[in-house]
Amino acid sequence: MAVQATDSTMKLARGWKKIASWVTTGEGLPVLVVVAFVVFFSVTSSSFLSLRNFVAVSGEASTLLLACTGATFVILMGSIDLSVGAMVLLAGAVTVMAVNAFGLGILGLLIGMVLGGLLGLANGVVFAYGVIPSFVVTLGSLSVFTGIALEILQGQAVSFYSDTFSNLAIGQWIPNVPNIALFAIVIWAVMVWVCFRTRFGRYMYVIGGGEAVARTSGVPVRRYKIYAFILSGVMAGLAGALAVARQGAAGPTLGSDLLLDTLAAIVVGGTSLSGGVGGIQRTLLGVLIITLLDDGLNLLGVSDYTQMMVKGAVVILAVLISQDRRKITMMK
Amino acid sequence: MTETPILRGDDLSKSFGVSHVLKNVTLAVPRNSVVGVVGENGAGKSTLFNLLSGILQPDRGHIELDGRTVRFGSYREAMLLGISRVFQEQALIGNIAVYENILLSHEGRFARFGQVLDRRHMAKVAQRIVDAFGLDIDVRRRTDDYDFSIRQSIEIARACLVPREVLGVESPVVLLDEPTSALAKSEEEALFRMIRNTREHGSVLFVSHRLSEVLSVSDIIYVIKDGHIVANVDPKQADQNALHRLMVGRERDADYYHEGEQIDVSGHPELLEVRGLRFKGAYDGITFNIRAGEVVGIGGLLDSGKSALGKGVAGVIPPHAGTVALDGSRPQRPQLRRLIAEGLAYVPAERLREGIIASFSIATNISLASGGDLFSTPYGVWRTAAEHDVSSKYIRDLEIRGATLPEVPCAELSGGNQQKVALAKWLCRSPRVLVLDNPTRGVDAGAKEEIYQLIRDLATDGAAILLITDELLELIGLSNRIAIMRHGRIIAALAAPPNQKPTEHELVGLMTGT
Repeated sequence: MAVQATDSTMKLARGWKKIASWVTTGEGLPVLVVVAFVVFFSVTSSSFLSLRNFVAVSGEASTLLLACTGATFVILMGSIDLSVGAMVLLAGAVTVMAVNAFGLGILGLLIGMVLGGLLGLANGVVFAYGVIPSFVVTLGSLSVFTGIALEILQGQAVSFYSDTFSNLAIGQWIPNVPNIALFAIVIWAVMVWVCFRTRFGRYMYVIGGGEAVARTSGVPVRRYKIYAFILSGVMAGLAGALAVARQGAAGPTLGSDLLLDTLAAIVVGGTSLSGGVGGIQRTLLGVLIITLLDDGLNLLGVSDYTQMMVKGAVVILAVLISQDRRKITMMK
Repeated sequence: MTETPILRGDDLSKSFGVSHVLKNVTLAVPRNSVVGVVGENGAGKSTLFNLLSGILQPDRGHIELDGRTVRFGSYREAMLLGISRVFQEQALIGNIAVYENILLSHEGRFARFGQVLDRRHMAKVAQRIVDAFGLDIDVRRRTDDYDFSIRQSIEIARACLVPREVLGVESPVVLLDEPTSALAKSEEEALFRMIRNTREHGSVLFVSHRLSEVLSVSDIIYVIKDGHIVANVDPKQADQNALHRLMVGRERDADYYHEGEQIDVSGHPELLEVRGLRFKGAYDGITFNIRAGEVVGIGGLLDSGKSALGKGVAGVIPPHAGTVALDGSRPQRPQLRRLIAEGLAYVPAERLREGIIASFSIATNISLASGGDLFSTPYGVWRTAAEHDVSSKYIRDLEIRGATLPEVPCAELSGGNQQKVALAKWLCRSPRVLVLDNPTRGVDAGAKEEIYQLIRDLATDGAAILLITDELLELIGLSNRIAIMRHGRIIAALAAPPNQKPTEHELVGLMTGT
C-alpha cells in the first residue's frame, strides 16, 4: 500500500516535472496563457463568451494574424520588420482608392498584395545589398510608407462603396465565421506548411540559426533574405486590403497598433528575436494572447492607457519566462 | 637555487574531457627575468597561460607566487596579485583616452564620493606609468591617435606597471601571448627593446612561434610538447635547430595515416587547376594543380595565409585575381556556389562558426549544402524523407556516435562526431574536389584516424584533395605533395611519396625561413 502510494506520487511528480519543463521551455506557456485568459475573462465578463464577441474578436485577430504570418519568417531568419504596420496602412489606402476608382472586388485584394510585395522588395533589397541592419532599414521605411499613405488619404478617413469588396471581409461563407477569419486561418495553415515543408522555410531557420554556416554551405543567403521581406510585404498588403474591407474605410490610424502588436504576438508565441528558433505555428497562439487581452480588458471596461501598460508587461513577462536569454544578442 | 622565483607552477595538470592538455608541468619564472615558452600549435601553451592567470583552474598541482601558494578563482584575482596578460588581439578601447585605458577596471581607486572620478589624478598616475617605460605619449590623447606598435607598448606598460603603481604589487609578472604575430619588422624590434626594458620592473613570460625572437630575448626557454615540458634551455647554448628538434621530433606512425594506401597519381587527369590566385594582404601568385586521387597538403605558420588561400580557392572569400578550374571547366574567378555545383566541397577550420549549426539536428546540417538540388523538388518542396534517409545512412557509414537518429541536435555530439557531420554535409554530394582546412582540429585520436581513413578512401575513389593543416604529422602522412607557404607565397613544393616522406624538421625550417 505504502509502496504503491510512493510509486504513484513519484509518477505524479515526474508528470509535473514534464509539464513544468514544457511550460518553461516556452513550448507550452502560450497555450496555458490562452486557456487562462479564456477562463478568467469568461468568469469576469458576461459577454465574453457570446457569439457577437466571437465574431468581433475573430475579425480583430485576423488582421493581426495575417500581418504576422509574413513577419514571423523575417524574425525567424534573425532580422526584424518594423514597417509591417506602415505597409498595412499604405496598402489599405491604395486599395480604397483603387476600389473607388475601378469598382474592384476580389481584385482589390490582389492590388494590396502586389503593392505590399513591392514595398517588401524595397525593404529587402536595401537590407540585403546595402548590408544595413534590418532594424534601421525598416525603421526608415516605416516613416516613408506612412508618409506616402497619409499623403494619399490627405490625412482623413476615406470610405469605399462596394458591397462585393466589403463582403470579402465581413461576409460569412461559413455561418458565424467572418470571411476575413477564414482567409487568415487558411493562409496561416498554408504558411505552417511553407515553414516546415519547403526550401524557403528551411532556409529561414538556417539563416537565423547560423548565417555564416549557411553562406559557406552555398545557401543563397542574400536572395532568401529578400524573399522573406517580400513575403512579409505581401501578407501585410493582404492584411491591409482585408482590414479596409472589414472597416469600410481606410483611416490614418489603420495599422498603427500593428508595429507593437505583430512583434508582441510573434515573440510571445515563442519565436526568438535572435533567429532560428520558433515558427509560424506558434504565432497563432501569440496572436490569440494579444487579441484576447485587448478584447477582455475592453469588456471589463479597463481604460486604453491601462491596457497599454498591461500589454507591455505581458510581452516582457513572456520573454522573461520562456526565452533562452543566453542566445539573444543583437538583431541582425 | 639561490632565490625564490616570483612565479612557480608546480606539477600542473589539466584535462578537458578525455584529452590531457597539460601533464605534470613544472616551471619557474625568476624575479626580473624574461622566460620564453615555445611549442607547436596545440602543445598546451595557451592552457598553461590560462592556468597561471586564473582563467582556468588546474586539476592537479599548485601555483606559487613569491613562495606562497595561491589559488586564483578568476583572472581578476590573479591581476590584483600582480599577474597580467597581454593577449594576441589588442584589448585597448580605441575611442577613449590612453589614461582611461591604462586604468580600465581600476577606476574605483580614483573615485570620490563613490562615483565621481578624479580624472586629473588618473592622468597623472597613467603618465607616470608611460614615462617610466620611456614612452613619449600624452595619456590624455585618444588611444586611436597612436599607431599599432605604440598601442601595444601601452598595453605592456599597463600590464607591467599598473600592478605596482595602482595595486601596490612589488614584483609583477606579465604574460605575453604571441605578441609579434601582428607586427611589422621595425615594430618587433621596438617590442623586444620593450620586453628587455620590462626586466627592470618585473618579469615576463612569453610565447612565440618565432624562435629567433625567443632566443634573442629570453633568459630561459621552456620547450613544451604534447602537454609536457620536454626541456629547459639556456638560450646562450642553443640555436633554432636545437629548439625545433625539441619541439617536434615525434615518431610518425605510417599506419595511422594509411601511408600504404597512398596511390601513384602520375597520368591521372588534373581535377583542380589554380592559376595566379591573389588576395591583397593575404596571398599572392598561387598556382598549382591537383590530380584525381591526389592529396596536396599546404603547410605554413599561422600568418602564412594558408587558411585564407583555402577560402579563396573555394570562393568563400573570392580572391582579387586569379582563376580556378574544376575538371577542365573554363578557368574563372572562384565563386562558391558555382564551384559547389561543379563538384567542390569546402570544410572550414572553424567548425562551430562556419561548419555546422550546433543547435540544429544532424539531418538539418547534413542537408545544408544540398537544399537546392538533392533535398528539394524543383518547385521548392522539401524532401523530408530523402533528408532523413541520407542522414541515417551517413550516421551509419561514418559511425557518428552519440546519435542513432538524424533528429539529434549536433550540440549533443563530441567534436569528432560533429566534424563527421560537417564532412557528411559534403559527402552526400559526391564531391570531386575537396578543400579541407584543418579537418581534424579539436578531434580526439580515435575519430582522427577515422577521418584519415575517409580522406584516403576519397582519394582512392578519385577525388582531388587540398589539405590545409597546422598539424605537421598529418601534413606529411596524408599528402602526395606538400607546398609550404610563407608570407602569402608558396616558397617550396616537395614530393612526399610513401617511402620518402620529408621530415618535420625540414618543413619547420621552410615554414620559419631558417
